[in-house]
Amino acid sequence: MQHRTDDTMSGVHGVVFALDEVPAFQAGNRIRVLTRSPIGHYRVPTYLRGKTGLVEATIEPAAVDNEEEGYGRNAGSKRHYYRIAIPMSELWPNYVGSPRDGLRIEVFETWLERI
Amino acid sequence: MAVQSQTPNPDHNHDNDHEHEHPHAEISQSERPGYYDIMETAIRELLVERKLIGADEIRRQIEVLDSRTPALGAKVVARAWRDAEFRARLLANGRAACEELGISFYDDTQLIVLENTEKVHNLIVCTLCSCYPRPVLGLPPDWYKLKPYRARAVSEPRAVLAEFGTIIPDDVEIRVSDSTAVVRYLVLPKRPDGAEDYSEEQLAGLVTRDAMIGVIPVSIEAGGPPL
Amino acid sequence: MSQSQNLLTRLPNDIGGLPAEPIARVDHALEPWEKRCHALADVLDFHKIINTEEKRRGVEALGAEMVAKLSYYERWIAAFANILFQKGLLAPTDLARKMDEVAARWPTDPAGQ
Repeated sequence: MQHRTDDTMSGVHGVVFALDEVPAFQAGNRIRVLTRSPIGHYRVPTYLRGKTGLVEATIEPAAVDNEEEGYGRNAGSKRHYYRIAIPMSELWPNYVGSPRDGLRIEVFETWLERI
Repeated sequence: MAVQSQTPNPDHNHDNDHEHEHPHAEISQSERPGYYDIMETAIRELLVERKLIGADEIRRQIEVLDSRTPALGAKVVARAWRDAEFRARLLANGRAACEELGISFYDDTQLIVLENTEKVHNLIVCTLCSCYPRPVLGLPPDWYKLKPYRARAVSEPRAVLAEFGTIIPDDVEIRVSDSTAVVRYLVLPKRPDGAEDYSEEQLAGLVTRDAMIGVIPVSIEAGGPPL
Repeated sequence: MSQSQNLLTRLPNDIGGLPAEPIARVDHALEPWEKRCHALADVLDFHKIINTEEKRRGVEALGAEMVAKLSYYERWIAAFANILFQKGLLAPTDLARKMDEVAARWPTDPAGQ
């Protein structure tokens, strides 16, 4: 569930931002990747579903959902992608390596929830 | 199924001549191309006939692709090693910094350059397909696109690196970037020891494609033409 | 999850984290048709006749068996054919006739291909 604070609703001079004009998530937010199982086309690998991590960065500008782009949507309904950091130990129960090791991956806004 | 390939004919640059309509009976190669080769030709010619694409566009794009090799990435790396302000701009916006050096991006992708340091070693992969920083590195090697690398780089990067002869100490973080969307990655390897007096051109000569994927480091001994 | 459900919900390319063999450092110089196919993909994306994501989806839609048995660029060109048919830009008969016409530019090889 996306939670918008007053800071993301309006700026100076009482300017109100349009929906999705401001990213829903910011660097440092803890997030969970959702666990739905779409058929047809998806760009969130199965290994990522349900995992928790941190937003490392917002990718600008907002862009088309690549799962819809795969069916020909070339414009409209743009939202943000986020570069997410997840420790390897969170992804793989038997991970062999350093506890510092981690993954970075871009995920579309509709696949994330803040925790 | 074996795909028969055309025997290259040095007298006739056949690659780029499929826009003309006359039969090819006059060319010396007699071996019929394979099934998929024929399919590609048929689709292309139909699209040109229907004016969906121009006859010269494919030829031009082949030239674009041929001009993109790891030598471009090596120039970017060498410049970053020698010019701290360029390095900062490169890490802030990879595509813009490449464009400064005249390396255009012919698609909609962005570039994040990942800096290897004493504390972090970066590795790039596309588990879902074969996303790769083509505008600045050219086309990826087959192994990058095949299952073993794609399946394992993201779950056992240290074992994968070891298969390339690269051992990273446990106190160094391995960061694997899996491309899924609009961003592409380029690893900025650590500058090798012993290259302090090298010119930018000499430094670029040390940087290999595999170092910019992150599977091997750059070293003075292993340096050679980037490919 | 049933086996058929798994087939549907796990795409054939979704292989991150699966067990796999050691990496063989194989590479090959692209055949001329493969390079033309790659250039075609770029041109189709530039015009958004088939964008890059549609190509990916088209390859996935070939299904696990074809993804395993066709080579990299064979999957691309097969996907392009299917997508062009779906968009009504080409009909299967158009392509079949054109392929026969292209093939006829060469003599049949001794094996009767």
